[in-house]
Amino acid sequence: MLKRERNLTYALIVLVSLLTVAPVLMLVMGSFSNSLHSFGNFTLKKYISVYTDPMLFSVLGNTAIFVVGSAAFATILALFLAYLNTRTDIPFKFLFKVLSVMPMMIPHVLFGVSWALLLNPSNGILNMWLMRAFSLSSAPFNIYSLPGMVLVEGLLDMPIAYLIIAPAMGSFDASLEESSRVFKSGPVKTLMRITLPILRPAIMAAFILCIVRALASFGVPSVLGMPGRVYVLSTFIYRVITVSLIADYGKAAAIGMSILVISVGLIYVYRYFTRASDKFVTVSSRGFKPSVVQLRKGKIPLFIILLLISFILIVLPVLVLLYTSLVPYVMVPGKQAFAAMSLQNWRVVIKDPISLRSLKNSLFLCLVGATVGTFLSVLVAYVIVKIKSKASGFLESISFLSFSFPGIVIGIGFMWYFVRTPIYATIWALFFSYVATYLPYGIRPMTSAFVQIHGSLEESSLVCGASFATTMRRIVIPLLVPGIVSSWVLLATMFFRELSLSAVLSRPGTEVLAIQILRFSEDGQWGRLSALGLIMIAISIIMVAGVNILGARFKPGEVREKRVKVESQPLKATS
Amino acid sequence: MKLKKTMMVLALVLVITGMVFAAGKTETVEEVTSKKVSLYANITAIEPILEHYNKTTGSEVEYTRLSTARYVSTILTEVEAKKLTADVVQGPLPILEILRDQGVLAKYEAKSAADYPDWAKKDGIYLFGIEYVGLIYNTDLVTPEEAPKRYQDLADPKWKGHIVMADPGTHATTISWLVGLKENVFASEAEWRTFLAGLAANEPMFVASFGPTPAPLASGEKKIGISMPKYIVTHAPAPLDYAKISPMLGSPRAIALTKGAPNPRGAEQFLEYWLDTDAAGRLANDVGEYVIAPGVYPPIDGISDIEVIPIRELSDDELQKWGAEFDKIFSLK
Repeated sequence: MLKRERNLTYALIVLVSLLTVAPVLMLVMGSFSNSLHSFGNFTLKKYISVYTDPMLFSVLGNTAIFVVGSAAFATILALFLAYLNTRTDIPFKFLFKVLSVMPMMIPHVLFGVSWALLLNPSNGILNMWLMRAFSLSSAPFNIYSLPGMVLVEGLLDMPIAYLIIAPAMGSFDASLEESSRVFKSGPVKTLMRITLPILRPAIMAAFILCIVRALASFGVPSVLGMPGRVYVLSTFIYRVITVSLIADYGKAAAIGMSILVISVGLIYVYRYFTRASDKFVTVSSRGFKPSVVQLRKGKIPLFIILLLISFILIVLPVLVLLYTSLVPYVMVPGKQAFAAMSLQNWRVVIKDPISLRSLKNSLFLCLVGATVGTFLSVLVAYVIVKIKSKASGFLESISFLSFSFPGIVIGIGFMWYFVRTPIYATIWALFFSYVATYLPYGIRPMTSAFVQIHGSLEESSLVCGASFATTMRRIVIPLLVPGIVSSWVLLATMFFRELSLSAVLSRPGTEVLAIQILRFSEDGQWGRLSALGLIMIAISIIMVAGVNILGARFKPGEVREKRVKVESQPLKATS
Repeated sequence: MKLKKTMMVLALVLVITGMVFAAGKTETVEEVTSKKVSLYANITAIEPILEHYNKTTGSEVEYTRLSTARYVSTILTEVEAKKLTADVVQGPLPILEILRDQGVLAKYEAKSAADYPDWAKKDGIYLFGIEYVGLIYNTDLVTPEEAPKRYQDLADPKWKGHIVMADPGTHATTISWLVGLKENVFASEAEWRTFLAGLAANEPMFVASFGPTPAPLASGEKKIGISMPKYIVTHAPAPLDYAKISPMLGSPRAIALTKGAPNPRGAEQFLEYWLDTDAAGRLANDVGEYVIAPGVYPPIDGISDIEVIPIRELSDDELQKWGAEFDKIFSLK
């Protein structure tokens, strides 16, 4: 390792530790402390209490099905959507690209409620329609169940997988697939033996990130799991801390430790499966060719399938939100409901000073936080992929620390940490906790992108006398544009609707949109909740579309084409 | 070149935005230490009362909403770090008693509570309302005749699959309410346990707290629920009404000043306002709260004829014991 690389690695370890290790240390201390709000009198009683709870066994079973099921569903759906959106000539690609990331712009509680209105067994809109259409005596679906939770959580986490897989798919060198076809392999064999193995780092990264996300998820388990009496680890933690007047967050931290161990274990699994990273390089100094696959006869059927999936899984729940925002209370659609429709909920939300202040704060955290987070992610991913030392492995593990805990728990870790600093109860407490907790969202797409870039490109630049900074700026970063766009979009959309940390750290003056959503939810004001949620979705779509347009302008293919054009102009002039 | 320019513009925008926010934060801190009153509360939907206070006194109230689950932990953590910014705290009585025992609260003699009954004044803590709980139903699906006439009626099998309630294993107010029924309504523990078994057999749908109970009732997903009658006011014109069963039980809502409040005079002024009949009237009329101020009732038909009584405060140990017991009865464990 060069001295410059060593310095960068250790500087990042210090910085990331300050952000992620400190709150986790607070949680470790809290889990071993006898007191409920201060550290000291260390004991194991909190661990004994939670790990001998008779409910834990069934909770672990539910959790395993919930996280693996939703992560697998999210990853497979993302793979399908990413392939069609980035590699084929499917029509209306831009629309489908936005729809693919749309669920992550919707607050989880709201998405859960929307699905409950569609598929609850008593009077869910879709269930009622199916019962009438097929003369059924009972509702065919029950969203308050483990499969229902898997479906909704999978949909919410799908954009995370999509934003990791799509850039890798987009910078895929099609000549590898062409070579396979030259050797007379069919499309399925090519897919199984060439495409999927090369995309393994991205698929693994997406799957693992979705697992970790589902482990920490609280919105769906609380809105859909609790009514169906299906408890997973996050709702089990909620039960543990709410049963007492003085919440024992030490117990919550004690449960969180096992989630942490699972998450760190998964990172090592990921590293094991992607240890020979050279196998996954698709962008080398030979140049690469992201080509478009002609769907021919399959174009229309696939377009219809994509349209149906997008409508049922993404558009319909959003339409339910629009409907809910227009009625005075939650009503089953019908004459009475349509007669009662008005813009009252929208007026209340738009005029509400706290909502406006929340919007301002959320925009700041989203724009500035995501930019800082992406910059940090580029550096961390570079160290993880390109430097590959024991220290970089350690850096990768600590970057996951805060993220591995359920939000409700890590929020307390940050509160215990920040209350000892001047930034407590300021917007900066939210800023740093967001960046620290969601850093893996920035790092994962970047590592997948880095893995695909051959080291010879940088070496050539350095041999030609360019500095490290110049090499990064002129060679590496332009090739990373799809990854950077994905990182930024993931972080920005996450920051824009972040709830768990904000609920603990936000104070008057530093409210964010998700806190307003929570207030409306606690008050049972679903109409206002939906109106504000739709405003959030609209702003997120504008942001994502804007960044995608910006990213498309600077992606490598475009840059190269422009350079060719510029270089060819003087030739034209002289000829 | 364009990439470079775009990056520079982006960087400039970020720096300027950061500076604007940093400047905004300094102003807020100054304001907090001068005129604003900081209120930590778990009561919801009180914005109209705070707005009225602002209009009449010119002083602003910063309202930090703390859920019961993280109330004590947050405040004690801030106290420990000497960073408690609350001037006034509002929450369930047992929680404020814990804070008083930890030396967080100040003793203050409120003039506007002079007419309050003695049981509502507890050594610097003032009870101003009761978080009353009742049986709420959807009027499109249940007629007043069909509605329960006594609590025992909720165990009738006709309600199977039609009930929504907060999780009886964890929701402190629901646990206290169920125990309150045993101590104030049922003739014997055996009768009470029969009621619980019947209620459990009706397979109620559980939600985290009272907040999410009115939505499934209003939409008709469920016909009846153990909820708060105040939602009839806050969710109007939803088709909701309540079973007129007396007595109605609830946890006492309390308010107090903090020791070493950053704005002590503002805190006293606000507490006097809050306990005054005028504010109590607003709390009843705008938020549907049941207040202790004499002669003030929420605008809910027939509520003045119902006896609303505060239930015994359960200790932490009792809450955990009964929570575990209800877990078993409702087959959660």
